[in-house]
Amino acid sequence: MAVAAVHSGGIADHIHPEPQGFVRRYVFSLDHKIIGIQYIITGFVFFMLSGLLAEAIRTQLLNPNGGFVAPDTYNEIYSVHGSAMVWLVVIPLLTGGFGNLVFPLQIGARDVAFPWLNMLSFWIFPVSGLMLFASFLMGAPTAGWMEYPPVSLQGAAGTSMWCAAIFLVGVSSTMTGINFVVTILKMRAPGMTFTRMPLFVWGQFATAPLLMIATTALAAALAALFINRQFGVPFFDPTKGGSPVMWQHMFWFYSHPAVYIMILPAFGIISEVLPTFARKPVFGYKLIAFSSMAIALAGFMVWAHHMFTSGLAPFLQLPFMIITFIIGVPTGIKIFSWTATLFGGKIHYATAMLFAIGFIGLFTLGGITGIFLAAIPFDLHVHGTYFIVGHIHYVLVGGSLMGIFAGMYYWFPKMSGRLLNETLGKLHFWLFFIGFNGTFVPMHWLGMLGMPREVATYDPQFAFWNRFESFSSYLMTFAILIFFVNVLWSIRNGKRSGPNPWGGRTLEWQIPSPPHYYNFKHIPTVYGLPYDFGQPLPYKGLDEELTDSPPVAAGAH
Amino acid sequence: MVERRAQSIGLGRGFWTATGILAVLAIASIVFWYRFPLEQYLPAAIITARQVDRLFRFMAATGSALWIFVAGYLIYFAIAFRAKASDPPDAIGAQIHDNRKLEFWWTLIPTLFVVLLSIVSVRIWYEVMLEPENGIVVEAIGHQFYFSFRYPQINGEVTDEMHLPLGVPVTLNLTSADVIHGFWVPAMRLKNDTVPGLVTEIRFTPRLVGRYPIICTQFCGVLHSDMNKQALVIEDKASFDKWFKGWQQKNAHASNALPAAGGQAISLQGGSAPAGKQLFAQKCTACHKIAPFAQTLVGPGLEGILHDASHPNLVNGQAATPQNVAAILQNGYTGSMGTMPNASANGLSAQDIANLVTFLSTLK
Repeated sequence: MAVAAVHSGGIADHIHPEPQGFVRRYVFSLDHKIIGIQYIITGFVFFMLSGLLAEAIRTQLLNPNGGFVAPDTYNEIYSVHGSAMVWLVVIPLLTGGFGNLVFPLQIGARDVAFPWLNMLSFWIFPVSGLMLFASFLMGAPTAGWMEYPPVSLQGAAGTSMWCAAIFLVGVSSTMTGINFVVTILKMRAPGMTFTRMPLFVWGQFATAPLLMIATTALAAALAALFINRQFGVPFFDPTKGGSPVMWQHMFWFYSHPAVYIMILPAFGIISEVLPTFARKPVFGYKLIAFSSMAIALAGFMVWAHHMFTSGLAPFLQLPFMIITFIIGVPTGIKIFSWTATLFGGKIHYATAMLFAIGFIGLFTLGGITGIFLAAIPFDLHVHGTYFIVGHIHYVLVGGSLMGIFAGMYYWFPKMSGRLLNETLGKLHFWLFFIGFNGTFVPMHWLGMLGMPREVATYDPQFAFWNRFESFSSYLMTFAILIFFVNVLWSIRNGKRSGPNPWGGRTLEWQIPSPPHYYNFKHIPTVYGLPYDFGQPLPYKGLDEELTDSPPVAAGAH
Repeated sequence: MVERRAQSIGLGRGFWTATGILAVLAIASIVFWYRFPLEQYLPAAIITARQVDRLFRFMAATGSALWIFVAGYLIYFAIAFRAKASDPPDAIGAQIHDNRKLEFWWTLIPTLFVVLLSIVSVRIWYEVMLEPENGIVVEAIGHQFYFSFRYPQINGEVTDEMHLPLGVPVTLNLTSADVIHGFWVPAMRLKNDTVPGLVTEIRFTPRLVGRYPIICTQFCGVLHSDMNKQALVIEDKASFDKWFKGWQQKNAHASNALPAAGGQAISLQGGSAPAGKQLFAQKCTACHKIAPFAQTLVGPGLEGILHDASHPNLVNGQAATPQNVAAILQNGYTGSMGTMPNASANGLSAQDIANLVTFLSTLK
């Protein structure tokens, strides 16, 4: 079989000695694996904080008259909850976190293309996160994660802080995107052609351009909002000739691709977990890979479906509706392919697999309600209601977050050399699954019957289901606590995993857990797809990985 | 060898039994959505509400049938193909990579479904959009934190409820005095944002007498949650007329004018028509033509605006006098004709206003 001429380039040609001091090793590290773990830890810290905000929201909504916090505080809480979950949790965990940790290993690289840039993108992220949470000290933003002007122009000083914080985390995302695109294009191991890349790499490859291109539109919008608020240049102020709808265009031109930034890497995780635990190739590799690219591309052409009620000309709305419907086709292909992957398998139920299967069922439901929302007449009814809240949580919690959990159970051994506890893991899955559905299913009919979103008090007729949701959300929080306990316990006491606890066939499982600083002793050569169970591994040059021999520079073999 | 043996795995009896059960469940869900009494939970107050319900039923039926098949096969495969204790530890699944025929069909069928859904959605959307244009014109203006309503032949604003007569087509113009609000009547299955600086319209025909809450769906400030207390009241012609007369009397002396900025009269002394003409070309022609009143670009045509007997009043209801024209130029205007920016937004000095009014008065 011919090896396509893919070279690992000059960057990995020599091996740097591993830095020795604690600070250079674990704090200002250049190692993509350490940076990935830093992203994951920081992301989960912010996840805990914004999860607590979510519980404050649900506690407020236990009663129709609220009463847990004042309306203004409530508005601050859900605005920071939404912003933090999107920009400080899901995006960093899936791109900076699992992306950094896993895909350079999967393409047989020794690091990402620009390790210093990688370190810089990471360190911007906790700073911007602290800025966002610090906005509580000066009156946090209140107008939701979308911060539509003109009402966001009236917001307290923290709204400007929000602009700056999100701008910074956007800079971090953009740099990560550039880094990942270059790494995937230039640093694949010899023989790893595009059609031999693992599907997680495809997921990152579809996501990275979105990070690069879409985030810049958000940066422009945030800069304009900041300037409008602080210096009075009326970009969005209609009394002085500005256009508030302009913000919506700029915001959604980023934020629609952003929902694909939040789901495509999770698709990648699922596409790795399913074949490993079903012991068979993923069904329809090429269609899964290319449909990610199709979704990423089409994702740029549908932003105005968030704006059907914003006063756009009717003829402008029509193409947005139809392109959104069309995105359902590649997404459907993925879902069918994953389902078919299970057919004829020998399925092992590790916790990662439970989360992966749960992901398919729940994400499909979120995808179907997404199609509902694209249909203009129905959107004119439920836009801005709890139906939307239910839909977005089905795709971001039932989808992205379940994907993150699947990834945690799957790759935790690669990070730490130890397995997460499976009993606690299964308890986590089932309580989370039940709590999640109990929290978000009723939102759909509450929205259709007349409950608007972003409210601190509501019509008493909706009290029963809101209480039901709140109690379910406590169950979900309890499940997440189990997860944190599991992680903290397993880091020290978990069963040792060895290099390859799941029998995975992608490259990261062929080297020790945790991997050496330089990842591979020899850069391996790749001869085929990683999913042919029962066949010899399609790699050469890995013989010494699990021995004590020293590493060899890329040019030397 | 492994591969060859594995690929010959058949669908088996279990698969067809599962498919049969899922088909029954899918049909049951379709029947459920088509028979579900939606209007018991949320009345259909306007004619097109039932069309939106029809679209919802179609999508909910097909969507839940699809979901039942996906989730059902997931569960069936997950159980049927689980690794058993009797399997050797290195047992592998059937090494199936793909199946062109299957992939072709599951690409084609969703594509056709997208075409069908597009047709259904567009048709129903047209029914919503193409409600008659000649209905009575009502305006809803969003404020922090209430809506006010303007009716033809009622001075000023109606501030508590919005009344509409049964069966008469309505054109509702929406705008806002401050921030973006969402005007939603769940019983109408229809909403639109009220955007400051924009006038958007929705058209509908009330079909059912009743009181329906009006709810703000776009976060608009600290009391957004309380912006759900007003109601749309649909009633018969007699009750509506009574309500209408009541407001006419109540508001008989209310002013239609917007409050003047600073309260000072604008001096129109020393206006220059040529300078005004030049300014008009720079600042006004994007929205106004020098043509009869009815020839609207964004705002009305301004030919003879101060001399037109058929239009004795300006758009704000005041008499067409130079002073009142100047007031609109100074303060701007928001109403059924749209929104005109005020002098600071247009960059007009007091002298510019004087020049413009002088120029307008030369048009006959």
